[in-house]
Amino acid sequence: MDIFLQQLINGLTIGSIYALVALGYTMVYGVLKLINFAHGDLVAFSAYVGLVVMMQLSGAISSSVIIILLTFLVTIVVIAISGVTLERIAYKPLRKAPRLSAVVSALGASLVIENGIMLIWGPRPKIFPADIVPNINWNIGGVYIGLMQLLVLVISFVLMFVLYFFVNKTKLGTAMRASAIDQDAARLMGINVDKIIMTTFIIGSSLGAVGGLFIGMYYRGIYFNMGWIYGLNAFVAAIIGGIGNIPGAMLGGMLLGIFNALISGYLSSSWALALTYVLLIIIMIFRPTGILGERVAEKV
Amino acid sequence: MNKKYLSYGIFFLILLILPFFLSSRWVSVATTFLIYSAVALSQDIVLGRAGMFNMGHALFFGLGAYSTAVLNTVYGVPILLTIPVAIILPLVFGILLAAPIVHLRGDYLLVTTIGFNIVFTQALKNNIFGVTGGPNGIFGIDVPKIFGYSFSSQTSIYFMAFGLLLLTLFIIRNLETSKTGRALHYLNEDSLASECVGINTRFYRLFAFGLSAAIAGLAGVVFAVQFSAVSPEAFNFLQSVLFFTIVLVGGPSSIEGVLLGTFFMFVLPEIFRQFAEARYLIFGVAMILIMIWRPKGIWPAKFGRIPKYVFKD
Amino acid sequence: MLRKGLLGVLAFVVVLLFGVQAAMSDDVIKIGVQAPITGKFASEGQSIDKSVRLIAKQYNEKGGILGKKIEVITCDDEGKAVKAAICARQLVDKGVIAVIGSYTSTCAEAAESIYYKAGVLQTSDGTSDSLVKHGYWTFFRNSSPNSAEAAFTAEFFTKKQHYKRIATISDYSTFSTDLTNAVIKNIKKLGGNIVYSGKITSGSQNFTPILTKIKSFNPDVIYFGGYYTDGGLIRAQMKQLGIKADFVGGDSNDNPEFIKLAGKAAVGAYLVNVPLPEMLPYDTAKEFLKAYKDAYHETPASIWTLFNVDGLRAILYSIEQTKSLDTKKIADYMHNKLKNFPGITGPVEWASNGERIGSAYMAYRIGDDLKYHIVYRH
Repeated sequence: MDIFLQQLINGLTIGSIYALVALGYTMVYGVLKLINFAHGDLVAFSAYVGLVVMMQLSGAISSSVIIILLTFLVTIVVIAISGVTLERIAYKPLRKAPRLSAVVSALGASLVIENGIMLIWGPRPKIFPADIVPNINWNIGGVYIGLMQLLVLVISFVLMFVLYFFVNKTKLGTAMRASAIDQDAARLMGINVDKIIMTTFIIGSSLGAVGGLFIGMYYRGIYFNMGWIYGLNAFVAAIIGGIGNIPGAMLGGMLLGIFNALISGYLSSSWALALTYVLLIIIMIFRPTGILGERVAEKV
Repeated sequence: MNKKYLSYGIFFLILLILPFFLSSRWVSVATTFLIYSAVALSQDIVLGRAGMFNMGHALFFGLGAYSTAVLNTVYGVPILLTIPVAIILPLVFGILLAAPIVHLRGDYLLVTTIGFNIVFTQALKNNIFGVTGGPNGIFGIDVPKIFGYSFSSQTSIYFMAFGLLLLTLFIIRNLETSKTGRALHYLNEDSLASECVGINTRFYRLFAFGLSAAIAGLAGVVFAVQFSAVSPEAFNFLQSVLFFTIVLVGGPSSIEGVLLGTFFMFVLPEIFRQFAEARYLIFGVAMILIMIWRPKGIWPAKFGRIPKYVFKD
Repeated sequence: MLRKGLLGVLAFVVVLLFGVQAAMSDDVIKIGVQAPITGKFASEGQSIDKSVRLIAKQYNEKGGILGKKIEVITCDDEGKAVKAAICARQLVDKGVIAVIGSYTSTCAEAAESIYYKAGVLQTSDGTSDSLVKHGYWTFFRNSSPNSAEAAFTAEFFTKKQHYKRIATISDYSTFSTDLTNAVIKNIKKLGGNIVYSGKITSGSQNFTPILTKIKSFNPDVIYFGGYYTDGGLIRAQMKQLGIKADFVGGDSNDNPEFIKLAGKAAVGAYLVNVPLPEMLPYDTAKEFLKAYKDAYHETPASIWTLFNVDGLRAILYSIEQTKSLDTKKIADYMHNKLKNFPGITGPVEWASNGERIGSAYMAYRIGDDLKYHIVYRH
């Protein structure tokens, strides 16, 4: 039993990181119908930016709580700006182009960011300092959970609920949903769709930045090409939940993390990755729009 | 029309004499260019002509290559006799895998095909059935022999790849002018309308998948012969992304476009090797710029003289 | 219009290639480097490239070799077998007489037969046993093979540590799978008990699922045969999950970054490898490390760089001794006459199949001071 609970916690931790990153995919897909393949690399970039900021601050400030807060703040701002810039340069000129052209542009942007990271910081992995978050570990009846893990879980859940309320209860959120359903109609209702798209990229990139910082602070080792593996997993999570659907991305991320942990734990670690994708294929065959369904109506 | 044939003639003539002017490294690059062109053209049947977002095409390419590799090294079958298997196996898999998913809308199909590709490479790495050689892959594949002549030199393998490209172009030319080709074009433009005029969209979609998988499988044979080795990484998901990008950068449904796309995405990075570390960054920038300036690819397909008011978007 | 453009590009390629061949001349000795300059193993590849260039510079400052300057030509194989074959052909075309590389066994093997057919000497740190299987006279392994490491590891487990329940993990790379399988085989031969063996995807960072599963088998030790980037995280996550078993890492865990990744959890971990660069007792080693640091303001990526440097130094020494650029003669000298050549990584000499003779594997324990302490050696 404790092994099962341990696997559940393992899965939830990585799952909530997937969910944060998946939200970026799903929100952009919602308004632009674009698979933003560069999002994963933006997440990797945020981990590097976070490390630089953290190292700079830890020389100047002694309180680690303030260091962490400032690191998050600065990184989120930098990544949000990068996300918006990415949209302006690589996607905006392609709004009217065939949909796949924007996908190729996204793949190109992904290459640029990934190799840009390598040129700036070099190909060797970079490592986050070990003692910024105290290494506290609780043993609850044989189930182990660390302080950093707890922080990842709590902060992710809080952020997701805030986002959920923002999208469903605020005026800007409503405008966002309207633009996702029908951009032209939204424009006719006086919604500034360009501004909505920008907001979407700001929020998506910020959540990705938090995900990237969690990866750096929890796993500590970061690589210039790690964007692909996290991006792909998060993207799959978004699809499983129903792309374009915000609660779907959260659910998809959690499910993916737990599923992966249970497969490795109870079946076979060599086949875990393959079985994850088999699950994805089965979901696609029987529920083509994901578990919670796609929120956007298809125009015929 | 004559002008078109003339320029093709010149193009083939250049390809014919090219290996005699190149050093062996560049013959090897040119051979891979021909093979990748054939794979990209087959990918184009599904992606460009039938309009299905397939991002797992390396699977069929790999299936062909591994069929040859396994039959040749494990069971000692001569290369030429492995060709039918290397065509039929991908064909069958293409149809079986596509059958439950062809009705999916664009992006969902894309994700599912990525999934297939990842499962495939994982199976190869896990040494499925004990014959794929695990992560190492398979080394020491023979060269084909006909009537005592063996295709062992780099130049003879080049001409094998050239033959492959000619065959692929021949098939595609026939497809373009056939009923099937027109049906694919209709269902790509508007699948609902094409169904209404009595086109069995499901049949033609599966047809496109089967045909494209079979060509990719055959290309896999030549690939296995050229490197006398196959390994999972040569057929992973990133390779599928490469073929996908080749088609879109070059120009979907355009033969010239796909050939140019292959040149741009595969040969140029080889030429600019001296930029080593920065070259993929420049490459990514080029991909974005091409899509912005030519969203329909470098050399988009033309469909005869259509008055402007007909295809107003 | 574009068709003309295509023609133009093709013509350009043709001219380019002729140009390359015309530039060949005989007043230099060309040494090739085939290494992963980009991609996953870029840091190792770049370090090998830098070292070869450093050695060439040192020779050239002293007037070169046999009165000729050394020219280094690098080809990036990206750690991919397909690119390796293309690189090999390119280097052969450019007229190199010897090639250093590649870093990964897979790439070294994919290129091996091309160098053999062209009569170009090749020295690689690849540890896969299959590299010397062909018996090519052109191939010289400059490191110790997997089989020697596996035998040493099994002895360490059964004779020194007396582990009763052993779990193993590998990743999907050629190197890691072969090494881990060889370790398992050797342990079984010595009567050890393997309770679990599994695989991870390198770089996936979250290894808690497989570790939690291993925990339920209650092992004394977890052996990891992959790379430090994953090894350090495995060690850290073992501690986090409260797993009391020892951790023993294969040679590729031996990297300063292992300790940084694992943090305090690194204490008590064991590593099996040939000595660390700075632990090498030889004067040549200290000289080289100093020169490298002066030139590039960093340390070489790992011991693997130094193995390759030894391969290069031995080849250059053999050229000087034979006063010949005939690769057959040089190889003959290296196989038969070169004995106890003072290498950076210890005495260098080769068996007739290109296997480096003598291996100096050691087991280290990472102490509370986060330094290596030798706990077992032959």
